[in-house]
Amino acid sequence: MLHWTLRTLFARPAYLLASACGVAFALMLVIFIEAVFAGESGRIVNYLQKTKGDVWVMQRGVSNLHMATSFVSDWKVARIAEVEGVRKATPILYMNASIEIGGRQWFSFVVGMGEGEGRAGPWRVVKGKRRPGKGEVVIPATLARITGLDIGATITLNTKKLKVVGLSAGTFSMANSVTFAHADDLSDVMSAFGMISYVLVDAETGVDPRILAARIRDRIDKVNAVPLEDFIASDREMAMQMGVEIINIMSLIGMGLAIVITGFTVYSQTSRRRRELAVAKALGVRNRAVYGSVLLQAMCIALLGLAIATALAYAGAPLIEALVPLVALTIEPEVPLRLGVLALVIAAVASLIPARQVLRVDPATAFHG
Amino acid sequence: MSSPQVIEAKHLTKTFGRGHVAVRAVDDVSLSIPRGELALIMGPSGSGKTTLLSMVGGLLRPTEGRIAIDGVDTTQLDEAGLARLRARKIGFIFQAFNLLEALSVEDNILFPAHLAPGGRAAARDRADELIVKLGLEHRRRALPDTLSGGEQQRVAIARALINQPLVILADEPTGNLDSEKGQEVLMILHDIARDEGCSVLIVTHDPRVEDVADRVLWLEDGSLRDRKADRHDWVWDPVCGMRVDQWTATRFAEHDGQRHVFCSQRCLERFEAEPERFADSGGVGNGGTASAET
Repeated sequence: MLHWTLRTLFARPAYLLASACGVAFALMLVIFIEAVFAGESGRIVNYLQKTKGDVWVMQRGVSNLHMATSFVSDWKVARIAEVEGVRKATPILYMNASIEIGGRQWFSFVVGMGEGEGRAGPWRVVKGKRRPGKGEVVIPATLARITGLDIGATITLNTKKLKVVGLSAGTFSMANSVTFAHADDLSDVMSAFGMISYVLVDAETGVDPRILAARIRDRIDKVNAVPLEDFIASDREMAMQMGVEIINIMSLIGMGLAIVITGFTVYSQTSRRRRELAVAKALGVRNRAVYGSVLLQAMCIALLGLAIATALAYAGAPLIEALVPLVALTIEPEVPLRLGVLALVIAAVASLIPARQVLRVDPATAFHG
Repeated sequence: MSSPQVIEAKHLTKTFGRGHVAVRAVDDVSLSIPRGELALIMGPSGSGKTTLLSMVGGLLRPTEGRIAIDGVDTTQLDEAGLARLRARKIGFIFQAFNLLEALSVEDNILFPAHLAPGGRAAARDRADELIVKLGLEHRRRALPDTLSGGEQQRVAIARALINQPLVILADEPTGNLDSEKGQEVLMILHDIARDEGCSVLIVTHDPRVEDVADRVLWLEDGSLRDRKADRHDWVWDPVCGMRVDQWTATRFAEHDGQRHVFCSQRCLERFEAEPERFADSGGVGNGGTASAET
């Protein structure tokens, strides 16, 4: 039966390939939607990953950087620096803001850096200065390319005009970007005198960030301290949660499409093979074996579709990123594996479509010429 | 335990439909065929021949009556039991050959083997033997659509024999073959009954088969009757020249006001392609009628 099933399936390679490509198209939809969200989430936490640091300290009740507002009194920075195991405490002023660049509004994380402080600044600058002074700003190079700006141009943060003095790399994403300004300018905009947003803590060598975070929470009043690893996970989760419904809907659409394509293929295969199935039944093949044959064919189509989708997705992702810089794509390694399980579910559901047809094939029709 | 009668059907009735649209395709037919006998069921179209064959083969359940194959009452078997019986004790030969198009000659022959104890491995020697016996050595790897009609039917016969069944059921086995190939297939079926000890039951319109049959049964209006020998009405097929009983023949054509009778579809098609070429060979009532034999 296995031999017959596979030979029948591969007897028309063009037909099989067309069906598998249909399934691949549907699965690629799922892969790319997830890749876009994973890519965007990755960029959202890129600042945290690149800035490193061991512990982030923020206002109690806050546990994110993304889409969060935190205020901590600036005198606590010195107190934090005195905690045993802290090598350095860097204050950061931070806000989620809409900045006007080239007449268009762009959502951005704005990081305010102290005079001469580079610890929380851009990790790679492709042009211009790394540290903005008063009235200056460093914007993502991709954003500058998209808007056609260059060093010396002016952007607006709220009502404050700032001059672009540097272009940073790896700080742009479709959802938001990271812009670096002088802490005094940002403090003006936020009216946050005497306050900072976060404290980036570097631990002394050999100190466990988790223990240090607990110690800071214990010693400093009304703050939350989170190890970097947890802080990144928390931000990534929040970013994914914002897109999870869209991902689920698109995944369902993709899955539904794949089921319909696979189902239609096995249904048409079954219809085309009605006479052969009748002959097989007449020769003594049982219904469950015939159904197994249909299921196996559906599985082959779905898995072949998955293989094509995965290959095309991995091959096409760098190309898309090169052609459309706005889009960040990250295909998580577990996605093809998860879709493998999905493909088997698709095959199982799709094979139910012609199941009734299989059961109704009358072996006696083998006699009708 | 083997029964002396390999096929034993008693008071078989098959009714299709209900109420005033009910049709009795087979009506109270009883039939016994011993081991090694080649029996024909003949009769006009729509007489219930294929329905009877389907019931004997466990493909169709009778409305009434019982059928035993090698002593096993098939009317008492469930679908799985019937499938097992068909796989192990019955070989089928169809008019349209019905080979599995994606499989080679060898794989087609071996296809039913996986349904029997021992599977394909146990049947491989048997398949080799049948391939040689039926002259298919050079076509072993060929796909069905590259075979001639005669070759396809020989493959179908080998497939029917692979599990060494007790019963061979053939539905118009010569229907899609020309006279030469048809004759060849008939001789193979004759040898199967004689050499393999199979009970061979053939449904046919083809009067040539009578020559090799041990017994001829006549089915008409759903009832099995003795063959009336005096009802032969022999004429000559204008294409192949074969003798055809126009009373039982099913293929006819009119040309220039004459009615012609053909032994097979192939001959009919050849005639229709070039009627002028064959029309002079004779038509019914125009010197083409053979002398009636009784």
